[in-house]
Parts: sequence; C-alpha cells; structure tokens
Amino acid sequence: MVCINQSIIEVKNIGKEFNGVWVLKGIDFDLRPGEIHALVGENGAGKSTFIKILSGVYSQSSGDIFINGDQIEFNSVEHSESSGIRTVHQEINLVPYFKVYENMFVGSEVEKSVMGIKIIDSKGMKKRANEVLERLGVEINVNRTTSCINTAMKKIVEICKVLVYQPKIVIFDEPTTALGQEERENLLNVITALKEQGISIIYVSHNLEEIKEIADRVTVFRDGRKVALLEKDEITIDTIISNMLGEKNYNSYMRKNSYAEDSDVLMFKDVSTDLLKNVNFSVKKGEILGITGVVGSGKTEIAKAIFGLDKIKSGSIGVKGKDINPSPNNAIKNKLALVPEERQLQGIIPNFPVSKNVTLTYLKKWSKNGVLNSNSENKSTLDYIDKLSIKTQGPEQTIKCLSGGNQQKVILSRWLVGDFEIGVFDEPTKGIDIKAKEDIYILMDELSKQGKSIIIMSSYLPELISNCDRIIVLKEGEIVGEFNTHQENIEEKICKVMLGGHKNDKV
Amino acid sequence: MIKCKKLQLSHDWLYFLKKYGTFMFGIIVFIFFSIFADNFFSIANQLILLRQMSMLTVVALGFTFVMAAGGFDMSLGNAAGLINITFGAILISTNNFVLSLTGALVVGVLLGMTNGLLVAIIGLPDFIATFAVGTITVGLKMLITKGNPMTFPADVSKAALFVGQGKIGGIPFPVILMMILVVIVTFILEKTTLGRRIYAIGGNQTASQYGGINVKKYRFMTFIFSGVFLAIASVMLTSRLGSAQPLAGEDFMLDTIASVYLSTTMFGEGEPKAIGTFIGAFIICMLTNGLTMLNIEYYFQYITKGLVVILSVLTSVYLADKVK
Repeated sequence: MVCINQSIIEVKNIGKEFNGVWVLKGIDFDLRPGEIHALVGENGAGKSTFIKILSGVYSQSSGDIFINGDQIEFNSVEHSESSGIRTVHQEINLVPYFKVYENMFVGSEVEKSVMGIKIIDSKGMKKRANEVLERLGVEINVNRTTSCINTAMKKIVEICKVLVYQPKIVIFDEPTTALGQEERENLLNVITALKEQGISIIYVSHNLEEIKEIADRVTVFRDGRKVALLEKDEITIDTIISNMLGEKNYNSYMRKNSYAEDSDVLMFKDVSTDLLKNVNFSVKKGEILGITGVVGSGKTEIAKAIFGLDKIKSGSIGVKGKDINPSPNNAIKNKLALVPEERQLQGIIPNFPVSKNVTLTYLKKWSKNGVLNSNSENKSTLDYIDKLSIKTQGPEQTIKCLSGGNQQKVILSRWLVGDFEIGVFDEPTKGIDIKAKEDIYILMDELSKQGKSIIIMSSYLPELISNCDRIIVLKEGEIVGEFNTHQENIEEKICKVMLGGHKNDKV
Repeated sequence: MIKCKKLQLSHDWLYFLKKYGTFMFGIIVFIFFSIFADNFFSIANQLILLRQMSMLTVVALGFTFVMAAGGFDMSLGNAAGLINITFGAILISTNNFVLSLTGALVVGVLLGMTNGLLVAIIGLPDFIATFAVGTITVGLKMLITKGNPMTFPADVSKAALFVGQGKIGGIPFPVILMMILVVIVTFILEKTTLGRRIYAIGGNQTASQYGGINVKKYRFMTFIFSGVFLAIASVMLTSRLGSAQPLAGEDFMLDTIASVYLSTTMFGEGEPKAIGTFIGAFIICMLTNGLTMLNIEYYFQYITKGLVVILSVLTSVYLADKVK
C-alpha cells in the first residue's frame, strides 16, 4: 500500500515572470504517488508554463520545488528527467521510416558487446518493447514501419518511448487531441494502467469528459493562478467549468435554429480516392453538416478531395450543379473555403504578421495591378480583429505569438474576407479554449444564417450534435450512417454506427 | 539554499542583437578597416568597393527570390561561365550588343526553367538537382571553348564595354545598375502580390498551398529570376573583363550563399530582403577589399570569409533559441 501522505512532487508558491509580466504566480501544487492529477484552464491560464517548469524547460522566477521532500532546482530538461519526470508531448515526434521498436529506443538504444565492440541489440530492444506494450495491454507489431501505423498507435509509441526510462512521474500534455472516440477510450485505459502500476501522472487536457473519467484530483488554473483544487468526489464538469471561467456564466452552447434551404450547393457523387470509397452526399444552402468518424475514417480526406489535395480516382464533385475539377484554385473560384485540421502545419504562415495571414488567400482584393496597399490590409485586419475579438497587439504582431484559438480565428478571417459560400472546417476547435470555441460556434451559426453552408469535420461528437443540422458518419472511407441531430439518444446511436457493431458500454 | 545567478544579458539586448547584430558587425568591420587600412575610407576606394560588389549583389538578388521561397540554387557559379561565353560568342560574331545581351538573357531563362522544372514542377530536392544542372553547364562551356577565353576585337561595340566599365557622373555604371536592381527587387518582394506569395511559400509551403497559392508556379518563377539576374551579372562581368571567360564567376556561388544567408539573419526575421542582401554582399566584399589593403594574403581572406559566415550562423541560431 502506498503512503498517501508523502507527496512525490510538492510545489510551493511557484511563479514565472517574462519581461516583467508574471504569467504564473503563487502556485501551490502536490502530486501523490500513483494518482492522476489533472490540470485544467483556458488557453493562456498558465498550465503550459507550469508544466515547462516541472520538466525543466523554464526555471521558475520564484518559489520552491520538492521531489520526495528534497528541494530541487531544475536547470535543464536533463536535470528534470534525472529526477524521474518525463513528458509525453502533444505533438508526435517519431522518425517515420524507423520501425516501431526503434522509435521507442531513440536515445536509449540497448547495446550488446560483440568482441569488445558495442553494437545495437535489436533482439533485446524488441523484447523490451514487447514487454512495455504488454504492460499497457496494447498489441502492435513492433517490426512495423512507424509511418504505417495510425495516429492513436503513434501516440502509444510516444508513451512507450517515455516508459523505457522507467519514470516515476509522467506528464501528459493533451494526449487525446485528434483521437476518435474509440481510440480515446483505449488511450485512457492505457493511462489508467500506468497509474495502477504506481506511476504518478500529471494530466493536461481541454476535454473535461475524460478528466471526469480518470482524474483523482483536479487543479484549476485561471489567469496564471491556481483557483481551485478539486478532490475526486467534487469533480463534475460544471464545477470545473465554473472555476475555470470564474464569475462568467457558462451555458453549454446549443444552436437553436436551422437555416437549411432545399437547394443542394455541394454534391459528392460516387467519389473514391486512395481512402474514400464511393462517397455520396450533398450539402444544402445554409446547412451545417457534421462529418465524424474515428481517426483514419476519411474525414480529412473529404476536405482534401474537394480541394484537389488528394487525387480523385472515380466519381465527381459538383458545386451548385456544375462539376468542378478539384484544385485549391478552382475550389476558391467556386467560393469554397478550407480551414485545415493542422493549424500549425497547414494554416498559419508563422513568421507573417496577423494582417498578412488574413489577406493571404484573397490577396488581389488589396492590390491594384499587383501592387499591394498595406494600409487597407491593416484596416481590413483590424475589422476582423474586432469582429471575432482576436486577442492580439495589432495587425502587425507575428501570428506565432498568438494562442491557438486566436490563430484559428485569424485563419477563419482569411476566408471570411472573401465571402465564401461553402466552408469546410476540419476540426475547427482542436486544442483551443472554451471561450474561443464558443465564439467559433456562434460565428458558424451566424454564417449559416447568411445562407452559407458549412461542413464541420470533428471527432468530438458533442460538438457536432450541438452545432449541426445533420451528421454523416464515416468508417474506413465509407459513409455508414446519417443522422438528423434532433432526436433522442443521438450520441449513443452515432457511437454504435461509428464503432461498427461493437457494444459501447458507456453512455 | 543559495541560488546561483547566471550572468545573463538582458532580453532586450539579445533582441537588439538578433535584429541588428549582423548589421552592427558590418559597421564594426567597416570602422576597423577605416582605422587600420590606409585609403580604405576614401571615396575612391568606396567606389571601387561598390563596383567590385556590384556583380555579386546582382547574382545574390536573384538568389534572394529563390531563398525567400525556401529554395536553393547551386547552379549559379558554374552556369555563369556558360552565359559569359554565349554573350562573348554572339558579340564577337555580330558585334551587336543588344543581340548578345538577348542571347545571355535567353540562356539565363533557360537555366532557370531547367532548375524550375526539376525542382518546382517535378519536385526533386533543390540542392542536388540544381547542383547537377550546374555540372552540366560546366561540360557545355568546356565543350564549346575547351577552356579558352574569347577576347573581344578592338572595334567592339561601345555599349558592350559600357555595361562593365562605363561611368555616369563619375559613378561606375555597374554601381548604378546594382542600385536600380536593389530598388526593383525591394519593390517586387515587399510591395507586390508576387513577393508576398513568394515569402508565404518560404514561410510555410503547405499552408500556402492550402491557402490557394499556386506553389509550383511561384517557385518556378523564383528560379527564372535567379537565372535572369545571373545573366545580367555575367554580362557585367564579361564587359568588365573585356573578354568572355568560361571559368569567371565561379566564386559567385559561395559569396552569393554567404550574402543571402547574411541577409536572412540581417533583421532577425528569417526572411531575406533585397536591402539585406545588398548589405550582406557589402560585408563579404569589404572583407576582401579591406584585407587586401592590409596586405593579408588571399588564402587568409578565404579563411576569414568562412569564419564570418560561421559566426553569423552561430549567433543567429543561438539567438533564435534565446529570443522568442
């Protein structure tokens, strides 16, 4: 039996200051052996800074850290790691052409001695890799090339990579982002299994459902301060949200009206690509259509097909009754807009200021004979900073300095300036805070009211249910179900179809 | 417990260093030479320095387009000779400057199209593909000339010599041409949709594609620019030398890379600008000019140039980490 009085990490009055601004102040925190301690808060509330202090990326400006009762000051990541702390980062950093087991031991390769020369011991690594996987209750063929396994499995490999160091404390930063429902469940099981083996876990997530499911305690951050510590029996979504938002009243967003008209504006006719198989569907004017499915089911591929980023093998795509030859340019000419899933990779130009990111696509609007008018660019940008309440110092600020939610609003502005008619929004609220999410929901409702059609790809069902008129479910590239959102127990029904006959015990 | 305070430059200082470090370095070197090399800081020598750097600047301006779009062009040094002899051969046989210039520009465009086709359209890695194209141009120019220079006849067209040797109001024409091109490239890169899209591609190619920019087309164009600017510089060089040298211009490659790299570090933004390229080329040529005046032997000049580039890369990498 573990002794629960002794904390494995104890943090007293930690603060962090950048250029005279205290982004974190007076944080007390403790982690007990074998618990899952969740950190929640809106973007910019200070969670990431706090984690970075614990993992040695930053050193604190004030306060003390104790590991097993000993005071420690981390000077580097290595220092933190040698104290038994490891982090599973939000991004996946695997070498795509390495085999699964090779990725697990990057930097900690197992060696054996042959005639006095140290060489890599592949057999030994495979054996240990399988042992780690067994502990997690996961089956992967460790000989597979990493680029061939799906996102959820890659995430597991990332976890294994950390586990080979036998850490006592593991920090998870948004581990379930971009995972489908089933994979999310699997990953949560893996994390619970780690806990049962005595590893202490700090868990950062925007997903309150899963925090409720697995967390033993929850620390809530707001504006760089710790505002609450909730014990297991106090954890409910409502209490977390009310603590996160403070006095603000949070009513879970639910779209009220539907503005769908009868005319079809976008049609998929028997479209097949590398992944999609004979996909047929249509979107009506003013409709918000949701597309869901687990990762790899083909959600993103639908967006890519419309924009010609994946080759269409057979079938055709029609816009307002006319077949189009898909390419980014043709899509834009036909008044389509694409907010891509990977904001960092496919959305922003990181070194550009906000204004240049806004005007990127419809650049001609601010130019005459190819010569740009940067004053009017800034003016239009200011309009949208105002309209979408984008938090930035101004149009000149570099976009990479903005938080995820605000970057997403900039990408949305990029399309809003061009009067698109059909918006394809792939995971539009991925990794962004509640306030920004709600702003985007309200915006989408507003757009549909103006007669624009919107397709949202999302793996988070409640989001689709509260926003869409209709939801299409994909599985392995095929449409396996279509639902009107105004019906009883819709989440359960969709889950059943999405997971394909598997019984879903959870409601 | 005693906390050890590390000696640290303040953030503001580092930021200043990141933004203007390379520029400040240039000024320090300039002051150094002004003090220690007699005649360095004279109008006559400064005009010579500007004339010496003019050809390098023009090549580097073309390369600035390529690097702004995140690409690389390794064919420049070797291909210069092919353009030299094209210009020379046409001039010697027709004595018509306009025709020779056109010939040189055509070869420059063809070179750019070949690079652009391989890299931007087909998608080969730019480093190796342009290097291979450069190697082919070596073969071609040797095949045509057997390595021998072509000397202009005594009655050669005046215009052909003016490009490299002429003066307007005491200022060498190559310097004027360089200045005009710096202004034009600044305008294209900073004020036009073309320039904006090139920078966008360099900033994030995938996002540019998703944002509806025709990435292939614009990357293709940057290689054409590179070829055309190389052709202009080759004509300047050949005119300056009074003979078409198949091997002249090979130094362009390393100096160009150094200049444009200095340009990307110049204002701490990671994007090369025309004015930055100009200053970068100035620093590189100033080193040659100043060290020569100090009677430093030429092999030490190479060592110094190499060290300067390493130093600037080192600072920019170090600062990129420290200053967010």
